[in-house]
Amino acid sequence: MNAIDTAIRAAAASITVKGLTKAYDPQTVVIPPMDVELKAGEFTVVLGPSGCGKSTLLQMIAGLERVSGGKILIGAREVQDLEPKHRGCAMVFQNYALYPHMSVFENMAYSLKVAGMAKAERAERVTAVAKMLGLADYLHRKPGQLSGGQRQRVAIGRAIVREPGVLLFDEPLSNLDAQLRHDMRVELADLHRRIGATTVFVTHDQVEAMTLADRILILNKGRIEQFDTPKAIYHHPASVFVAKFIGAPPMNILAVTGDGSTLRLADGQVVANAPLTGAYQIGIRPEDIVVDGKADGHAVKAALRFREDLGSHSVLAADLGGSIVRIATPFGMDIADRLELDLNFPTSRLHLFDAATGRAMPGALGAH
Amino acid sequence: MTSESTLFSNRWLPILLVAPFMLLIVLFFYVPIFQAFYWSFFLEQPFGGGSIFVGLDNFARVLSDREFWQAGWRTIVFMVTASSLAVLIPLILAVAADRKIRLSLPARNVLVWPKGVAGASIGVVFAFVFNPFVGILAPLNKAFPGIWAPGIDGTDAFITLIAAHVWGGIPFNFVILLAGLQSIPRTMHQAAAMDGAGPWRRIFDVQLPLIMPQLFLTLVLEFTESVTSAFALIDTITHGGPGGATTLLVYKIYKDGFSGYDLSGASTQTAILMVFVILLTAAQFLFLGRRINYER
Repeated sequence: MNAIDTAIRAAAASITVKGLTKAYDPQTVVIPPMDVELKAGEFTVVLGPSGCGKSTLLQMIAGLERVSGGKILIGAREVQDLEPKHRGCAMVFQNYALYPHMSVFENMAYSLKVAGMAKAERAERVTAVAKMLGLADYLHRKPGQLSGGQRQRVAIGRAIVREPGVLLFDEPLSNLDAQLRHDMRVELADLHRRIGATTVFVTHDQVEAMTLADRILILNKGRIEQFDTPKAIYHHPASVFVAKFIGAPPMNILAVTGDGSTLRLADGQVVANAPLTGAYQIGIRPEDIVVDGKADGHAVKAALRFREDLGSHSVLAADLGGSIVRIATPFGMDIADRLELDLNFPTSRLHLFDAATGRAMPGALGAH
Repeated sequence: MTSESTLFSNRWLPILLVAPFMLLIVLFFYVPIFQAFYWSFFLEQPFGGGSIFVGLDNFARVLSDREFWQAGWRTIVFMVTASSLAVLIPLILAVAADRKIRLSLPARNVLVWPKGVAGASIGVVFAFVFNPFVGILAPLNKAFPGIWAPGIDGTDAFITLIAAHVWGGIPFNFVILLAGLQSIPRTMHQAAAMDGAGPWRRIFDVQLPLIMPQLFLTLVLEFTESVTSAFALIDTITHGGPGGATTLLVYKIYKDGFSGYDLSGASTQTAILMVFVILLTAAQFLFLGRRINYER
């Protein structure tokens, strides 16, 4: 651990958002009042579809976008009315936003130069960060002469060289190809483990969220759907929205009707026993469905539509009472020529959701 | 890959398409220029009827003429001051406008229109605007009689010319520079803001370096244009006066050739002016153009 790591770990500050709102006019409210607290040193991923307000939230924390109401505290300081430079945040942009006319060194040293740091100290800091990110050999190059991954690293270096209390990422990996994205994800996780900066990372990619986050904040139309650890979000989604957003392929959601003792699908097949009456939605992960086997649920019949062999496993798509159900099975299961599948939904793996609000109803099935 | 043969199956078609344009340049540019160079080695009779080859005599005569050097010096002074101002003022306006405005297409069109106004028209307007008795500076003359007298004072006349030229150059340069400023990604400003740079600092550290291609373009165009386009302004506003104070090289060539009927002298000066402009442009590309980073 070198001086930079220690300094950033020491500077890491919590972020507290109180009643924060953003509206461009009374009709277009991007973020209704929001309350959330991000702990110091925590890696928070803000996840949501495009237009859910996640970038707006990030820009308001950074000071690049005005707040319409409420407070933002970094550490104990109220910052919502401060200029970006007085907030102690650094940011990595989606398109990197490196200064094309400056060398890698100048890019990373610019904030220090603006802050009036002595030349020798500047060089020392930039060199230390460049070494940490494997950029030491590229300091004299212009951004245009670098690969996508290297530019990304320069952008990160430019952000951490100031030893910020908060590190903000705005979809930083979406411009990279698949392989590089994977590598950068690992590098980012490793970097966070080393420097321990409070990090807010905005993305629409659930894999990035699952692999990087200490906690995931899922936004839908500006509202917080769920804020929890990746594990809790995967196993206990708080709503249909979350259940469908996380997992590949996502959780199967089926409409069911309760008759007081059983839950029936649209085609009348019984999937579970439950003392419920009325309309509900049930969810089950593709990997939790049992094919041709014994489990504690009811057996249902479904028509196989197609299969995708992915090497590690296969994904089957079957028609169950008019809706498509995806099932993850071990690779090479001998079902190639069959049209009908016997499925079993283990009751302990079922998730129950309110049909109207989409919110989870934990415990209502007797499971969890 | 798209090869040329897939675009144009007939090899004569591209030539045919370029022909009208080539014809125009050859007819109205290369032929006259070649003529001028050719005549500069001959002594032409003013009313036609034969010419005598005199070698470099014309050049010797022109280069030993004090008036030629004076006009040349005035041309350089005009070129430097007028074109610097014609880039600097639009630059300031564009930086200010870029802060808030997203220019609509109609707005941009309206702004470029003055570029289409003939130099002579601009000249007539400015002759009126700067008239010492009825123009905008007339009240100044009432308070301090004789302080503004472009008809008598050479400096005042020169200022009038520069003002007219700069006015004519503002719209085009403004649009080019503003387009350059607006093509800078928003995140670049945001990144600089996050790095702690205020609006003023961002102008010099981010905006100006990134619009170097546009600045260079406007400067090169202005430098070459100021040498030639001054003619219409001089002819309508000052007629080269008072006392030759606004006789730039272009105007002197015209007067020598068409009032003085010194066709050989005018041709020789045209050739010299031409070489000067070519050298100037080449120098700009050599010394400035290379340093420009076109990458975004």
